[in-house]
Amino acid sequence: MSDHDEQSGEGLDFSTVIASTVHDMKNSLAMLMQAYSESLASLPPELSGSREHGVMEYESLRLNGMLVQMLGLYKLQVNQLPLRPAWIELDDFLEAQLARHNNILRARHIKGSLEVEEEGMLGYFDAELVGSVVANVINNSIRYARSAIQLHASMRDGQLSIAISDDGEGYPPAMIERQSDYVMGIDLSTGSTGLGLYFGERIARLHQRNGVQGHIELSNDGPLGGGTFRIWLP
Amino acid sequence: MIDYSNKRVLIADDFSGFRSSVTGMLRQMAVRNVDAVATGEETLALCRNTQYDVILHDYNLGEGKNGQQVLEELHHTKRISPHCIFVMVTAESSQAMVMAALECEPDAYLTKPFNRASLEQRLDKLVQRKAALKPVLEAVSRNDPQAVVDACRTITQEQPRLATLCQRYLADALAQLGQDAELETLLSGLVGDRPLPWALVALANHLRARGKLDEAQALYERGVELFPMLPALFDGLAAIHDARGDSLAAQQCLEQGVRISPHALQRQVELGKLARRNDDYAKAARAFRHAVGLGRNSAFRSPETHLQLAATLTEQDGPGVINSKVLLEIRQTLAEVDKTWKDDPTLIARSNLLQGSALIKNGQKSEAERYAQMASERLEGFEGSLAPDTVLDMARQLRDLGRADTADSVLSTCAEMYGDDPAILEQIAAQTDNPEILKAGEQAKTCNREGIKCYQQKHFPEALELFRQASASQPRNISYALNTAQSLLQLLAQTPDEALKAECLRSLGQAHNMPTSDKRYERYQKLRRAADAL
Repeated sequence: MSDHDEQSGEGLDFSTVIASTVHDMKNSLAMLMQAYSESLASLPPELSGSREHGVMEYESLRLNGMLVQMLGLYKLQVNQLPLRPAWIELDDFLEAQLARHNNILRARHIKGSLEVEEEGMLGYFDAELVGSVVANVINNSIRYARSAIQLHASMRDGQLSIAISDDGEGYPPAMIERQSDYVMGIDLSTGSTGLGLYFGERIARLHQRNGVQGHIELSNDGPLGGGTFRIWLP
Repeated sequence: MIDYSNKRVLIADDFSGFRSSVTGMLRQMAVRNVDAVATGEETLALCRNTQYDVILHDYNLGEGKNGQQVLEELHHTKRISPHCIFVMVTAESSQAMVMAALECEPDAYLTKPFNRASLEQRLDKLVQRKAALKPVLEAVSRNDPQAVVDACRTITQEQPRLATLCQRYLADALAQLGQDAELETLLSGLVGDRPLPWALVALANHLRARGKLDEAQALYERGVELFPMLPALFDGLAAIHDARGDSLAAQQCLEQGVRISPHALQRQVELGKLARRNDDYAKAARAFRHAVGLGRNSAFRSPETHLQLAATLTEQDGPGVINSKVLLEIRQTLAEVDKTWKDDPTLIARSNLLQGSALIKNGQKSEAERYAQMASERLEGFEGSLAPDTVLDMARQLRDLGRADTADSVLSTCAEMYGDDPAILEQIAAQTDNPEILKAGEQAKTCNREGIKCYQQKHFPEALELFRQASASQPRNISYALNTAQSLLQLLAQTPDEALKAECLRSLGQAHNMPTSDKRYERYQKLRRAADAL
């Protein structure tokens, strides 16, 4: 009594293959990380803080972030990415983003902090989607930060801004100058960073109000002296 | 710091590695009571006896029920308290979100992999929220909508930042209380230029229910533009097209909804029905087939889906022989009905009749007659409790299979139950010209008509006498029984009387067989409540 597939006769669509494989890869990675953290828990504390463990933790989170991004981009392309905005408490949202990276931040002695312009401020956006953008940016910043990463939420002209800043070298000047090429997906020469910007821009644009779309912005004038990634949500 | 030591937590995940690692995280958070299971079925079994404070449930659990089905069943069977925190755990949440019915969403989604800090942060927040909403949730569990409204208003006034958390509870309660104006104001406020998906759907559904089809349609269409992955919007649009008589457009909308969310049972059933009405048998069969499959894991499984599938398959290729593969599918589908619902003779009679119809179409006359014979035997002492359309279908099938006697007896039950409705009597007349069936109720009908006149003139004792006469000659008629009960309640409101009260309950008992789909069912329940309260 099996049903005919909707797409039968159209041959194997490679992007569908990628999407379902990515889904399985995510599951697999989750299992891997779980097993890893279990074995870590059984070690005496003086052994669990080693550099290799930090690398494993960091790289698996990075892998996970890339997979989320890949699946997200696929779903965007076939118009299957659901947008479910709600009123989100920003301190809670930013706290959750830091919590995700809690282990790595500690292992690398990077201080993660958050600041909201107004206590109890709310923002209207899809926490799941924007969360995956922010997580990827944090993950990236961890590579460049010396000792601190700061998340900041504020309102300007009716738009919400979520900024991720670090105290690293900042973005290369060429990247700042030609950021529109990156965010449009025209220049992906920087590999995953470029793709990350493109993904961020696409997620930002899904958010719109009265014809105004969200966007992202890179700068090097952040409060910690390094680079700042900002996502604007109308 | 939140004290987790006295919280009861349930983890459901098909990977033992995941269960033990999350158990470990919870232990570090000082949780002492942790249960861990591998399937949704086990969750349902445990929740029968245990009230959990937190349930961490995987969405995709392999073969059995998925997390969303478990959550819906927990709500449906009222085995989850509003105070319980239900977190849907997924490898990727967009699929789970699309599946979630708007009225049955988890408290949060948590994406794998996650660490202890993430888990704790999320749970901390959810516990704080539930604590802040305690008076609201208590009123919800008492099913006291007025208290929900009051509690929401108090919280919103005292702590404005919690307002967003109250809105959904407030909207549900206002809808329950029928406070349309307030509900509309609330929802309209939430559907400004930053519309919340649930509020947009709720407002559009509300407008549609009140007959404001144009306004509702505009809102659904705006929703589709903003949230194209929200299947509830397509359900609403389909209902609007259907109400306007455009069942083809309605079908297209449901097809869109099904494409987004193919695993929603009810939507597949609705699509099947619409497609069948549109003579699109291939699509109808596919939808019902899907629904039958989904039903195996669902609390909302219904044999009607199987019967619809068998009927559609029989109809699908027009007149002429049915191909053997289809015949086999019909047989298997009906066999599942006979096995799963073996204690319901009327249902099995319907299954037999469908089997017989398929066989006769295929030229297998003697085997068809055997099924008709079985159906006839099962229909002895047929009590009704079916919608008139179903009874009319059965009578037609019985006649086609050479069982005119049983057909007439089924029709006579139908005439007795529903004969006061001229439209139904007309359809009965289309099948038989037997005056014993068609004219049997005439005198009762006259009594009932006179009774209604008296009732309207507030001559209750006279009305009661006439309804009694009508009901005595046609005891299975639903309207006469309800009218008798209602006049008795009128009199009882003035002077209590034990004998009349007993009669009233008996009259309601005569109508208890009515199908819940009947438009008088709500009236029946209202009368029932009034009688029970005496």
